[in-house]
Amino acid sequence: MSLETATIRRSATTGFAARTFATYGQEFIILACIVVLFVAVGLIAPRFVSPTNLTTIFVGNAYIAVAAIGMSMVIISGHIDVSVGSLIGVLATISGTLAVSGYPVWFAWLAPVVVGMVVTSFIGVLVAYVRIPSIVVTLGMLSILKGGLISVTGGAWITNLPPDYLIAQFRLFGIPSPVWFMIILTGLAAMFMRYTAFGRSIYAIGGNGEAARVAGIPVERTTVMIFAIHGLFAGIAAVLFATQLQVIQSTVPPNLELTVITASVVGGVSILGGTGTVVGSTLAAILFAAIGSSLIFLNVSAYWLRAVQGLLILATVLADMARRHRIG
Amino acid sequence: MKTKTILMAAGLVLASSAAYAASWTGGDDLPTNPLACDGTAGEVAAKPYDGGVPTNAPDRNGKKITVVDVPKLIGVGYFSATTKGQAEAAKELGNVDVKTDGPTKANIDEQITFIDNYVTSGVDGILFAANDPVAIAPVLKKALAAGINVVGYDANSTPDARQWFVNQAEFNGVAKSLVDNLAKEIGEDSAFAIVTSTFTTPNQARWIAEMAAYAAKCHPKLEFLETVEAQEDNVLSFNQATTLINKHGDKLKGIVGMTSVATPAAAEAVTQSGLCGKVAVVGLATPNAMKPYVEKDCVKSVVLWNPVDLGYAAMYVLRAAADGTLKPGDTSVKAGKLGDLKVVNGSEILLGAPFVFDKSNIGQFDF
Repeated sequence: MSLETATIRRSATTGFAARTFATYGQEFIILACIVVLFVAVGLIAPRFVSPTNLTTIFVGNAYIAVAAIGMSMVIISGHIDVSVGSLIGVLATISGTLAVSGYPVWFAWLAPVVVGMVVTSFIGVLVAYVRIPSIVVTLGMLSILKGGLISVTGGAWITNLPPDYLIAQFRLFGIPSPVWFMIILTGLAAMFMRYTAFGRSIYAIGGNGEAARVAGIPVERTTVMIFAIHGLFAGIAAVLFATQLQVIQSTVPPNLELTVITASVVGGVSILGGTGTVVGSTLAAILFAAIGSSLIFLNVSAYWLRAVQGLLILATVLADMARRHRIG
Repeated sequence: MKTKTILMAAGLVLASSAAYAASWTGGDDLPTNPLACDGTAGEVAAKPYDGGVPTNAPDRNGKKITVVDVPKLIGVGYFSATTKGQAEAAKELGNVDVKTDGPTKANIDEQITFIDNYVTSGVDGILFAANDPVAIAPVLKKALAAGINVVGYDANSTPDARQWFVNQAEFNGVAKSLVDNLAKEIGEDSAFAIVTSTFTTPNQARWIAEMAAYAAKCHPKLEFLETVEAQEDNVLSFNQATTLINKHGDKLKGIVGMTSVATPAAAEAVTQSGLCGKVAVVGLATPNAMKPYVEKDCVKSVVLWNPVDLGYAAMYVLRAAADGTLKPGDTSVKAGKLGDLKVVNGSEILLGAPFVFDKSNIGQFDF
């Protein structure tokens, strides 16, 4: 009962429309931004909305959207993972190494997912049972993974990947597989978050951990499982990342964790925990990809992308705080 | 309030597009020195010798010498190749005993320790490729003070900490090689774009500025469309190169990659867009990353330098310095099969024009 109140309390006194907007308002705004951006840039540079460029936009950042699903769950539960960029770099290297060492491709796809879950579960245990703040644990993990990757690979690239390993280059009904992964995983995660008891307990823990405990939610175990699910998505993102090109650069992609966290936050996930959806984070990842592409079409320096990302973060965090003040 | 803020941010992007309607080139504003179109040597302003001198060095002329080579790190293809070149030169010279020893990762502290140990144990010559130009200087000066001949290659120290530095390629030489190969592949009346790391990366900006100057001088009809940034990220480089193809369509005939990350990613973008043979990719890259594309005829020329020749030249320069046949103020040095190499910029020896890897030779290199 108190679990229900924790999630619904906010909207109980308002009408259906307001309640829908309170849940999905951010998604509508991001969607509107995407539409406005496509129409505006499309009018200036028609090739921007050509099918090939739309494919580039959706495919190129699908792995970020997938990683942002797991990240959103972690942030909604009141934690954070700043090591996810390094983790994806390490998992991509593991996957590629297995693929070129002659292991079957399904094994090279599965291993990073399993290893990802093991690593993030370990983070989850330290956070939930040892009670170290997640930012501290993952900052440590960031150094371990980044340093370990450089020491082990010496920065050498992985080449000669087998063609049937390159799953991100497959197409189904003419649509590249990363887009399918992004849509299906977002849909499944959104339903999981909304309609399962476990999904709702993620919100409950992030909203008020003590209330969740009183309501009978095993907070520690659930936290570890949230991190494990986050590792699952990081693993899938790593496979998409690794199989997009014919070479894997054995380094950590610059600023990847920041991009993933930004997608979650701009997508409406409250940095203070308790609210947000994975649909929002996926839309935000698409918005970033579209902004990045539009900068080239409009002959604007790519430096603006970071400035715009920063503005969007500030705007959403301020809006989130304002909303909480109004309600709290 | 939230809607307004986000829409304002979106508006800002559109507004800034009006302000920056001109394409970005990515070059710096420093003066350029484009080489002659026909391959004759460029004008080099004479500069007095600015290297160091060993203190009370014994007469080593013609005598057998022991040399240690301390590269940035060992165990990678690039420095295995320079080691091979040194061994080749030592064998030809007949009076040099050379060995390579160094850290297993590119770490300046470890590199200093290695050099320090060899200075203490006593060698006649030190070859190095610095992990840090300033931090390595004191230990090299210690070597000079102990009468040891010191020559750098690949990555320089401050000039006064060594006698000579073998420079693999000058900015204007790399620019000429890239633009000439590009023009040869796409024709004089074509348009090209560049994928670089960031506009503020010094090396890349310098190369781009020299490319623009050389293209304007020697290939005036080539149209330089724009430069896009992709950091050192291969998936981003791929996305940016693909976006260039989407944006310019048939107009775009060539993409130049300015980093060893951007060039293979651009080749991959051309491959996945099904444009091999229609859009040429030329760039700075290492052979291993480019082999798949060169072997499939999607990429014809990869520009870099030959690390075997670099090690070979460094060994000859060190021998000449030890013999006293290469003295401050000289303008060239003999380097075996490479012929006479020019002295440039005070105390640097130029390896020569950059090396072009193509289908005929790329299989011989592993780095």
